[in-house]
Amino acid sequence: MRIASTQFHATMNTALQSATERAENILQKMASGKRFLLPSENPVANVRLARLEREEATLDQYRDNIATLRNRLAESEAFLTSITADMLSVRDLLTWAANGSNTSEDVAAMAASMQPIMDSLFYTANSRNAEGRYVFSGTATDTPAVSYDPTAPVGARYTFTGNEEAQLVVVSDGVTQAANVPLPEIAALLNQLDAARESLSAPGVNVNDPAVRAAVTAALDGLDAAIASVSARIAGIGGAQNILETLDANHANVSLSNRQAALTIGQLDYADAAVKLNGYMTAVQATQKAYGAVSRLSLFEVI
Amino acid sequence: MSIVHNGLSGVLAAQVALSATSQNVANVMTPGYTRQGVLFASVQPRQSGLITAGAGVSVASLLRFSDGYKLQQMWSAASELGQRSAVQPYLTQLEQVMSIDGSGINSGLDAFFAALNAASVDPVSNPLRQQVITSAQALAQEVNSLGQLLLNQRAAVMQQRAAITEQVSTLAAEIALLNRQIVDARGTGINASGLIDARDRKIDELSDLVALQVVDQADGSRSVSLRDGQPLVIGSVAATMSVQPQPDGSQLLTVSFARETFTLTGTGLGGQLGGLYDLEYEVIRPMMQARTELAQWLTDGVNDVLVAGYTPDGNPGQPLFEFDATGAMGGTLGVRQGIVPQDLAFSSDPDAPGDSGNLLELIALRSQPVNLTLLGPVTLSDAVTQLVARLGMQSQQNQAALETAEIVRNQAEESWKSTSGVNLDEEAINLVQYQQMYQANMKVIAVANELLESTLAVLG
Repeated sequence: MRIASTQFHATMNTALQSATERAENILQKMASGKRFLLPSENPVANVRLARLEREEATLDQYRDNIATLRNRLAESEAFLTSITADMLSVRDLLTWAANGSNTSEDVAAMAASMQPIMDSLFYTANSRNAEGRYVFSGTATDTPAVSYDPTAPVGARYTFTGNEEAQLVVVSDGVTQAANVPLPEIAALLNQLDAARESLSAPGVNVNDPAVRAAVTAALDGLDAAIASVSARIAGIGGAQNILETLDANHANVSLSNRQAALTIGQLDYADAAVKLNGYMTAVQATQKAYGAVSRLSLFEVI
Repeated sequence: MSIVHNGLSGVLAAQVALSATSQNVANVMTPGYTRQGVLFASVQPRQSGLITAGAGVSVASLLRFSDGYKLQQMWSAASELGQRSAVQPYLTQLEQVMSIDGSGINSGLDAFFAALNAASVDPVSNPLRQQVITSAQALAQEVNSLGQLLLNQRAAVMQQRAAITEQVSTLAAEIALLNRQIVDARGTGINASGLIDARDRKIDELSDLVALQVVDQADGSRSVSLRDGQPLVIGSVAATMSVQPQPDGSQLLTVSFARETFTLTGTGLGGQLGGLYDLEYEVIRPMMQARTELAQWLTDGVNDVLVAGYTPDGNPGQPLFEFDATGAMGGTLGVRQGIVPQDLAFSSDPDAPGDSGNLLELIALRSQPVNLTLLGPVTLSDAVTQLVARLGMQSQQNQAALETAEIVRNQAEESWKSTSGVNLDEEAINLVQYQQMYQANMKVIAVANELLESTLAVLG
């Protein structure tokens, strides 16, 4: 085929431009470490990367939720442990008071020491978080778990004013975990303790009096039931902590494998890129040399 | 004395040939220049007799090395290239903006749902609720900035279209003028090669803008029309192309020729005009519609759940988003003015402020299907990913077509040059040959002179 003189220049121009474009593309990829700079380079891989990114965002959130939730549960557990300790002290006092050899003065003193422990139980059951929300009121977080009405008759002065609904937190796809621990049993217990304290602090009280004994026994039974119930709640928290830990580990594993997949799909293979860049540079150099040689060839040089 | 005449005709013919060669060498770098050559013919003897060789040489004609078929190929390649190259910058920009890490609607949605999830740990917490409002504002901004980007692109497409129609009208007028000059030159016997080159260059420029049909006429003019037959140039009459903005925000494309006006449909126009039409109606407008639908769905979805729930104070919930569907962008998403954290209804029970039932319903929106005209039902979290994927595929397709169009155009140019382009080595040979021809013919005249002198000497 007949070749026009300007064709050499045009070919050279095209070759240089395309080689420069490719080299620039590789350089950008090397700088960013990305295999694809734009979705159009591989739309399918881009969709996979985007979905992995979405899943990662969700997993991160679940893991954040789990961490916060575990803190909340640990906080509740600390309150419950303190409540248990209070209940055990009251139980010691009552067991001691139930001993028939105590004088009425001794018993009155014991009844007097019950009051601060009951107050402590009342305040701990009405614990609030940093924003002033009641911890043990179920979902009725604006109202205290236990309300005290001094005008009511003894044995009915304390009432549970929360509810037993769970505050559910999403910890995995379709999995929720209750973040709160409602404590309805404390109000009932406080009423029984109040009744026992009332009868024990009556002047000249005789602990062998069947009415007094009945109040003390009822309080002791109530204490045992409440201690069992609160212990069960603490155990429940421990169980939940274990489940959350396992879930968190699962999320961490999935997240790790997602990240690995994202790296496999989206990360630049530097060795491959370096080889390609080298290839383009060699091509440019060869084209330049060929152009230099060809453009020196002219009949006008010799005639 | 016929020897002297023959010699003289040879000298004159060589001069014409040398002139053509010098013109070729001078125009070696002129774009679109078609090389010329001479066609020699021997002249019949003037006297009768079998022993007369002839009356020298004449230049029968000046040749123009041109191939109409190769020109047509070059022009159709230009249209394909124009169609693909006009679109690519828009697609690349859109792709770049929509796929930046850590921004865009996807990240906005991630952050919004992360804030809702975080609130589920402590649904009445004020800072966590505030975070929901803040991330909703950020999400609304992302949705709006995509809308603004698409709107800007559409505006740029429209401006470019208006500029192209003006260029088309100008080029058509220039071609019509050249047609007249060529017809006139031919009539008065002037070499029109330069004018024809200029006209071919204009047609080449025009075919980059819109696909053409070019038909040669007997008088030397060329008729140019659009692919569907609407005339642009007939003889020395040119059409004008223009755009009229329509009330619905689109543009009406018309061609007026003489007293007739043709409305162009947009599809199948080819060239940059065709590319821009495809871009506007296949990429930008569907994307704008999808964005509007997505924003509307998000607004309705979130607000419907919220108003069905209760605030911590036990009041019915208030909507969070507001979507103003008017405006050229296809709607603006925003967070309702004056909404405060405690207005958010995360509880499904008026008496239980700490309840998170309604909040869980909000969180569930993420995996619910959104019905987009463009994609059908897709989950909210996947909608934008699929929109970007569709864009990526469109861009990939266009890049492949662009690459092919570039190769075809380069090949067509090379093919045209192989016929019409100047080769300096060839011209150098011609130069040597015509110089020798000139010198040889001068020698013939010298010999004839010597013969005459010899004859005179014999007589003397």
